[in-house]
Amino acid sequence: MIDDWVGHHHSRPHSPLSHVPAALKLGVAIAIIVITVLVPGTRVSWFVGASIFLALVVLISRLPLLFLLKRLALLSPFVLGVALLNALQPVAGASWWNVAVRSAICLLTVILVSNTTPFSSILRVLKFAHVPSLLVTTLALMHRYLFVLTDEAERMRRARASRTFTRQHGARWRTLATVVSQLFIRGSERAERIYDAMCARGWK
Amino acid sequence: MNTALEITNLRYRYHDGTEALRGVTFRVAPGECVGLLGPNGSGKSTVLLHLNGLLPDKPGLDGTVRIFGQSVTPESIETIRHQVGLLFQDPDDQLFCPTVEEDVAFGPQQLGLEDAVVETRVRRALAQVGLADYGSRATHHLSHGEKRRACLAGVLACEPLVLALDEPTSDLDPRGRREFKALLRRIDATKIIATHDLELVAELCSRAIVLDHGLVVADGPVLTLLNDEQLMLAHDLERPHILRHHHPHSDDSA
Amino acid sequence: MHIPDGFIDGKTAVTAAALAAAGVGLALRQVRKKLPPRRVPLLGLAAAFLFAAQMVNFPVAGGTSGHLVGGVLIAALLGPGAAIVVLTTVLIVQCFLFADGGVLALGANIFNMAILGAAGGYALYRLVCHWLPGPRGQVTAIVFASWCSTVVASISCAGQLAWSGTVAWPAAFAAMASVHMLIGIGEGLISALVFIAIQRVRPDLASEMNAASQPRPLKEFVRYGLLAVLGLAVFVAPFACGWPDGLDAAAAKLGFDRKALQPVVSAPAPDYRVPGFHWPAGSTAVAGAAGALVVFGLALALGRTLVPEKEANTARGSSSHD
Repeated sequence: MIDDWVGHHHSRPHSPLSHVPAALKLGVAIAIIVITVLVPGTRVSWFVGASIFLALVVLISRLPLLFLLKRLALLSPFVLGVALLNALQPVAGASWWNVAVRSAICLLTVILVSNTTPFSSILRVLKFAHVPSLLVTTLALMHRYLFVLTDEAERMRRARASRTFTRQHGARWRTLATVVSQLFIRGSERAERIYDAMCARGWK
Repeated sequence: MNTALEITNLRYRYHDGTEALRGVTFRVAPGECVGLLGPNGSGKSTVLLHLNGLLPDKPGLDGTVRIFGQSVTPESIETIRHQVGLLFQDPDDQLFCPTVEEDVAFGPQQLGLEDAVVETRVRRALAQVGLADYGSRATHHLSHGEKRRACLAGVLACEPLVLALDEPTSDLDPRGRREFKALLRRIDATKIIATHDLELVAELCSRAIVLDHGLVVADGPVLTLLNDEQLMLAHDLERPHILRHHHPHSDDSA
Repeated sequence: MHIPDGFIDGKTAVTAAALAAAGVGLALRQVRKKLPPRRVPLLGLAAAFLFAAQMVNFPVAGGTSGHLVGGVLIAALLGPGAAIVVLTTVLIVQCFLFADGGVLALGANIFNMAILGAAGGYALYRLVCHWLPGPRGQVTAIVFASWCSTVVASISCAGQLAWSGTVAWPAAFAAMASVHMLIGIGEGLISALVFIAIQRVRPDLASEMNAASQPRPLKEFVRYGLLAVLGLAVFVAPFACGWPDGLDAAAAKLGFDRKALQPVVSAPAPDYRVPGFHWPAGSTAVAGAAGALVVFGLALALGRTLVPEKEANTARGSSSHD
């Protein structure tokens, strides 16, 4: 699943949307999401209008349709769950398809923004919006080392697999726990080296 | 002799008890390029970290480090860090900002320079390492060689007088290595390079220092040391290939 | 448990966001005051670690697999304030980068997983550690606190869904709580194994970080605890206590303007009491307590099996700070 998510970030298609300022994209996206969540279910016109707008944006964005559908499909367990629970016990006001439409519009909006806007621009918007600097720094570092650590986890997984010859549940849990703990230890050691590197360039 | 950096009887013990340095002494003249050689665990990286005052001042530390006459103490640390640029072994540790531009700007921003000045420095540093068009690229999408050069740009943007490099050519492919060597040759700063890449030392440095078990075991002109087969073998090093085709007395302008 | 957008309505999202913002604000202030500068990069790396660790799948019976969520683990390693910051960071990145969890639901997700899950879980962890000192007690505490935090977070999530009128409370509660009572066992076990493995290799890591948040944990707990209780009171109590008109009563008690809330609030109320699905408060509490007791017994047993006798005795002195 991570490959589905991360993979596309390496080959983001260039589109006219990449040049729209990040703040504008985020603003519009949040407006769409807020209205979609708040608008009463009977206002069909808004849902239709938003869907048409998003469809146009999809066309401009040049994102592969299959990727978008796959990503939207990940929502289905939630929608099915709600549908199932509501079948057992109907609630007035919110029917499952209503929830499905709302959440699909919101999700598509976020996917479109996140795939046409580099995360660093989002960070710049957050900084500009006076989000506490400690949080922005932590976000920046997490994003920077996300891929370094996931790669490390993947390498450890492969190295482990190449020397795993039996399938014992208990033993596997232990080795997996060792892998995760190694990940944490390496991460914290790297954090110390990063601190050194920051200090070396005059960080206070 | 006018000295850029001077280390006197430096001792250091890590918190786990390992004695990394057991009394290291040497000095480097301004503009000199010195290779720091020695097997793994001989204390090369520890020496470099001391140049920048990065190892905590505590009971395990003894001796002095002076940069242009000023000794490295907690009080002088800020000035020292402006003067000494340190290139770390793992470029991923050093490139901690989301984009190349931001990372190169990090140092100058910490110096409290104006935005316009920071921008010129960033542009100049990126051009110097041949990454002029890479400013907006995400740091984690760079190739290994590009990461290395971006790190160097980040250090150069601080305009250091002394450049300390830790294994600058490890993990580089031959072309990356060649390009990086050419790049280093063009930089005027005093350079001290800790490395296993003896060819790099033979080509760039005029002088080499061999460390082993936390002590300086040899200090002298590069070619003399590298051609001393016995010295090299005694400290788990070997004569670089390129020297085998030369004779020490022939013209070695490399 | 990442609630997507569209599943909770405006008032729930705003209430949860306010609680989350207060909690994160507190945590940021605490971290800025107490965390040594050396450790600042660790927050980002710990967040990246949690994300990467979630890729490692642990096999569960029947071909399914589970993964670490890690709130209590991170809190036990880094302290509660840092854990809130780390989990919030993870949730923000998951939301904006991977569209996992909604933007408007971000507050609710942060409240459930960071405030309730990490800080609440940590309070419980410290409590159990206090009763059962030594490494075995630590393991028991991690298992039990992880389980409880998973279950409580899921119940809060069910409450938010019910308050939004997306799903009726009895169904939401039954589904979320029962599933997470199972998931929680896995979470507790993974967290304990990972914690033990870290302690073995770098015992200094956890103790050093916790030393930073040692002296006055009580005051912090009161603040986070107040937020957690307030949130549960808004999201869960009205339903769980079986008040005839739970939401309106809660709204009145909390001093909300009844009139303003009426149109949105009254929708789910008439329907949530469907015969046969209505759990009286008493039996819910009994079932919950029984479940917690069973898990606590399991946690005790795990503490005994996972930490060998020798280690339990030798390490007792050194880990006395817990």
